[in-house]
Amino acid sequence: MKLKLKLLFGALLHKKLRLLLSLIGIIIGVSALLIMNSFGESAKVKTLAEIETFGPDLFMVISGSARVMAGRAMQTEQMTTLKVEDAQAIRNLPGVKNISPVYTGQTVVRGEGVNLITTVNGVNEEYVAMRNYPLLEGRNFSREEIQTLSKVVILGYKIKSQVFGEKSAVGEKVLVSKLPFTVIGVLAPIGVDASGQDQDDQVLVPYTTAMSALFNVDYLTGIFIKAESTSTLPYLVKQVEELLIKRHKVDPKRKDFSILKAEDLVQAKEQTTRTFSSLVASVSILCLIVGALGVAGIMTLSVNERTKEIGLRLALGAQRRDIFMQFLIESLFITLAGGLIGILLGLILVFILLPAFNYPLIVPVKPVLVSSFLTIIIGLFAGVYPAYRATKIDPAILLKSG
Amino acid sequence: MSEPLILLRDIKKVFVVGKISYEVLKGVNLEVFAGDFLAIMGPSGGGKSTLLYILGLLDKPTSGSYLFEGREVSTLSEAEMAHLRNQKIGFIFQAFHLVPWATALENVLLPTLYRGSITEKDVKRASLLLDRLGLQNKQNLKPAELSGGEQQRVAIARALINQPSLLLADEPTGNLDSKSSQEVVKILKELNEEGLTIILVTHDPEVAKSAKKVKFLKDGVFVEE
Ligand SMILES: Nc1ncnc2c1ncn2[C@@H]1O[C@H](COP(=O)(O)OP(=O)(O)OP(=O)(O)O)[C@@H](O)[C@H]1O
Ligand SMILES: [Mg+2]
Repeated sequence: MKLKLKLLFGALLHKKLRLLLSLIGIIIGVSALLIMNSFGESAKVKTLAEIETFGPDLFMVISGSARVMAGRAMQTEQMTTLKVEDAQAIRNLPGVKNISPVYTGQTVVRGEGVNLITTVNGVNEEYVAMRNYPLLEGRNFSREEIQTLSKVVILGYKIKSQVFGEKSAVGEKVLVSKLPFTVIGVLAPIGVDASGQDQDDQVLVPYTTAMSALFNVDYLTGIFIKAESTSTLPYLVKQVEELLIKRHKVDPKRKDFSILKAEDLVQAKEQTTRTFSSLVASVSILCLIVGALGVAGIMTLSVNERTKEIGLRLALGAQRRDIFMQFLIESLFITLAGGLIGILLGLILVFILLPAFNYPLIVPVKPVLVSSFLTIIIGLFAGVYPAYRATKIDPAILLKSG
Repeated sequence: MSEPLILLRDIKKVFVVGKISYEVLKGVNLEVFAGDFLAIMGPSGGGKSTLLYILGLLDKPTSGSYLFEGREVSTLSEAEMAHLRNQKIGFIFQAFHLVPWATALENVLLPTLYRGSITEKDVKRASLLLDRLGLQNKQNLKPAELSGGEQQRVAIARALINQPSLLLADEPTGNLDSKSSQEVVKILKELNEEGLTIILVTHDPEVAKSAKKVKFLKDGVFVEE
């Protein structure tokens, strides 16, 4: 069996450098295709996860105008018109399940000699449950703590890890903007949500404390609202918008607030991903075509060089279809070898690149299947012409003395 | 007398190149019996190789009748012709035509590839053939590592591996020095004495002398010297 394979395909390994060269196009094409497909698959998972993290029945009112840029909600203009009373008015609308006023700012958190610049979110006692934040340890704010402007804090996972390491943090003191706060809870790791914010790199404090003690303001930066169900969300969004327009007495065309849903945030990002994928898709298809032409070219060259071998095989009893199959299989072998290397290379790169770009790691089963399938098609496509040429060799070539 | 191994009647071969046609064989008649050793001589371009090529079932004549072992060749399918080439006919060429990436032993085994599977018996037989032709120590060398005479002996072993009834040789000594030529001629003579039918094309009168019969092909027909 081994001998049989050697006698059929020994010529393949005879010129190793050339074999390698003919593989390059296929390798690049297949790995590019695999990477592109894997990013696509991963992006889908990521989008769903981000909507989940944000909450599909959640939306936020942002003070001033906000725009979604590259998947991030960017506040483009600060306003001082959104007040705690607005939040109270919204709470009375039918269909509101939970609501939390939000004041977001940047601050320095200091503990155990470590200084960290992070986002501080002033919220109420409903916020943690609205966002489905899991607690690693400790507890949520009480209503009383919110009302009494308590200096208590819930740490995001990264902040806790960087300050306290593996130790428990509950009951410890940290300085937030130089004021002492007691840690009452720590959030479990969450990741990035649809707004593009790393939910592990933040601290939560009562909004009342944030407005008075930390930032000394009388307005909010936003309001988080949870609808009673995902289906009533669009209606509620409209109601909130009308209510705020009335309360702020603004022109509906020149509102002093914006409303963002998880979908709005994700849509913009999907658009970017899609543009990127189609670009990579065309490039990798191009690579594959070049790779296929490369294999076809190398095989044609090989046929031209091996006319004597072909004539000899015919003289020794081969039929033309044996010759055709031999060369077709050689092309297929080259392409498959290139495809296999390309898939392995692609997988390695996928496992490096996905985490590097903050994409969830997936096992790209479908992309691997697609790449393998395309490789076989290309191998056949690239092999038919050289194999056909090989069958046209006249064995009379053997009778020349050269 | 028994039936001839080869019977040619008025064989003609016309090559058409563009609009011009060349009649290379113009009515060749030939009878070859089992055990014959025939040398064909003649001027260059006389059609010797073309004739050998038809005899070896690598091409069909334009007209005329060719009976191989009593079967009319023109009625055979491509598969049947390939089968006969594989089983009944051995070829030796002026330029040896060994495959460069295979060892001597593997080259000898090449014809068994087209017979079906390669068995242990085949490998043993190939090895014995190489021994017999004085290449016992060179079975695992590549053609590039062998001298011309050695390469031609490997080619002879390859021609014999499937135990053919006919050996066709086109100027087998054409690329060899006189010592290697003599060795090859000696081997051919021995094989013929053991019963193998040989048809040999040569320009060398010394080589032709070893044959039992010599014929001259000139301008597409056999002529008397
Ligand atoms: N496939 C072909 N197409 C066209 N012409 C051919 C073909 N094969 C052979 N010929 C022509 O047929 C003639 C006879 O060629 P052949 O090779 O049989 O001669 P030869 O007797 O073997 O000569 P040499 O002694 O030089 O080998 C030559 O003129 C050659 O050009
Ligand atoms: Mg010739």
